[in-house]
Amino acid sequence: MELLANLALGFETAFSPTNLLYCFIGVFLGTFVGVLPGIGSLATISMLLPLTFHVPPTTALVMLAGIYYGASYGGSTAAILLNLPGTPSAAVACLDGYPMAKKGRAGVALFMTTIASFVGGSLGIIILTLFSPKLAEVGLMFGPADYFAMMLLGLIAAATLTSGSPVKGIVMVLVGLCLGMVGTDVQTGQQRFTFGIPELSDGFSLVALAMGLFGVAEVIGSINRIKDKRSAEDAPKITFRSMVPSGEDWRRSALPMARGTGIGAFFGALPGTGGTIASFMAYAVEKKVAREPSRFGKGAVEGVTAPESANNAAAQTAFIPTLTLGIPGDAVMALMLGAMIIAGVQPGPRLVAEHPEIFWGLVASFWIGNVLLLVLNIPLIGIWVKMLQIPYRILYPAILLFICIGVFSVNNNVFDIYLVLFFGMLGYLLMLLKFEPAPLLLGFILGPLMEEHLRRAMLLSRGDPTVFMERPISASFLAVAAILLLWVAFGLVRGMVRRAPAPSTPVAGA
Amino acid sequence: MTTSRDYMDMLGGAVLTVFGLWFMLHAFGEYNIGELRRMGPGFFPAVLGGLVAGFGALIFLPALFRAGTRVQFDTRPFLAIVAGILAFAFVVEPFGLVAATAVLVGITAMGRVAIRPVEIAIMAVCLAAIAVLVFSWGLGIPLHPFRWNF
Repeated sequence: MELLANLALGFETAFSPTNLLYCFIGVFLGTFVGVLPGIGSLATISMLLPLTFHVPPTTALVMLAGIYYGASYGGSTAAILLNLPGTPSAAVACLDGYPMAKKGRAGVALFMTTIASFVGGSLGIIILTLFSPKLAEVGLMFGPADYFAMMLLGLIAAATLTSGSPVKGIVMVLVGLCLGMVGTDVQTGQQRFTFGIPELSDGFSLVALAMGLFGVAEVIGSINRIKDKRSAEDAPKITFRSMVPSGEDWRRSALPMARGTGIGAFFGALPGTGGTIASFMAYAVEKKVAREPSRFGKGAVEGVTAPESANNAAAQTAFIPTLTLGIPGDAVMALMLGAMIIAGVQPGPRLVAEHPEIFWGLVASFWIGNVLLLVLNIPLIGIWVKMLQIPYRILYPAILLFICIGVFSVNNNVFDIYLVLFFGMLGYLLMLLKFEPAPLLLGFILGPLMEEHLRRAMLLSRGDPTVFMERPISASFLAVAAILLLWVAFGLVRGMVRRAPAPSTPVAGA
Repeated sequence: MTTSRDYMDMLGGAVLTVFGLWFMLHAFGEYNIGELRRMGPGFFPAVLGGLVAGFGALIFLPALFRAGTRVQFDTRPFLAIVAGILAFAFVVEPFGLVAATAVLVGITAMGRVAIRPVEIAIMAVCLAAIAVLVFSWGLGIPLHPFRWNF
């Protein structure tokens, strides 16, 4: 049994004291930032990126991944207790979680979301374990043209399937690609868009870009929006007794959790979609199949458990394309990819074969992390409820300080602080104009890779662009990408014909 | 608040179009484009710039013909945070981490309407202590706690 041997290797790696410690730090911090509104996993992962330069790649990834799935556990806490989602993917948890809390069933809601998260997470890991090696084998057959086509599809999907305007999503990806061009061209050594600034010869620092766009910009936008009083007064006391769900809660949740997991696992593994879309889908599906849809929005337990399972299953299966093909599905995965590249590990089909300790160690750490999260979120839920009472006015100077020191520490250079400030201002303006920064980050990280694959593909085909149509893998990716674009164009034309006076972006993401 | 045209998207689209054109022209002018078979360093950026300009126009043009909403610019938090980070960057090398933390906390705290001087002072002291303990001593980041050279 090769799988068992691999898992044994994985657990051996994950149970080393260092990795165990970093896994704990990761899920702990993840839950912490997941619980707190106004700081997300993207900002946290970018803040901690500099710390991971000093540890081996496996340890670094174990911690960063822990932050990601830990945040998707914690996100629903504030949603249930305060009607304020701690993370975008937890927005759905407000719909039925908050009504449950108002009925005095906050404890049950918190308990059931943790169980649902655990179920979704565990099944997600099983899918990851079973499918990744297979997908990696398929990935070995990919040539440069296929990679280019796949990245193109991933970027278009990420840009068009956001909650905002698809045209704005595409333009953000393109701007990200442009920013990724800055620095030294790997093939010719030419300096591009550096304007003689020596600090730019390696390109924009990923840490500065991510911290600026997601950390600084978020703080500017949140300072006066997050009301402190509310969290201090509204948070109820959660006792163990109040957490015990009734038999009916279990019965009502079993099937929705299974369906939610399926939906989440699917959307998580697809490039461009992720936990947020999955959780909204799961909620919509439950409402459709429910015998009494009118219960939804008034504290139906399955309205909380199905999206939670979906969102956590997606958080695990999102690693499938990232680890096996080197194609990140969303901005967080793009950061993980960036962290791997910085650590000198090339993600892709060879990762599973050449660095089994990294791949399987990471998979095993997901199991450990999920069990830790179960402990962190049920017996220790009281701590997180207390955390919600930390006022934002105390939190944000600390966040800014850690951003400044963190970005400095990457190159020990003040230049990067100016850079983080620049990207912070840019990110805030983008937020105001309703452009989402996440596709920009995805484009920034994939830009250099895409260019390299494009150049290699064209060199191999002796300058014949039809190579993208002749290879079946690349042709099918491009076909799907074209369908997505046509769908966007259709929507755009229809919108113009109607000339509705409504604003172009009805739903803002976060 | 609504406006007769969608000025926000007009602004965003226009800036993007100008940026894209500039990016494309710069790539054309400064770097070798090469040929399809052997692309030069200018090829990919030139294409990208053109695409940005095109999509920028796609955002700008429809915005001319529809009403929009005015957004609220958080002037005070924006200025406070920009000034705070700038001050940190200026102060941290000549004066050290403690002074830089103090100015960062002091200035960024002005971003809120209600200012509590005592709380800000306590926060600055605590955060400076944490920063020195964790980053200067714990992680060995070369930032001196105190310094006095220009």
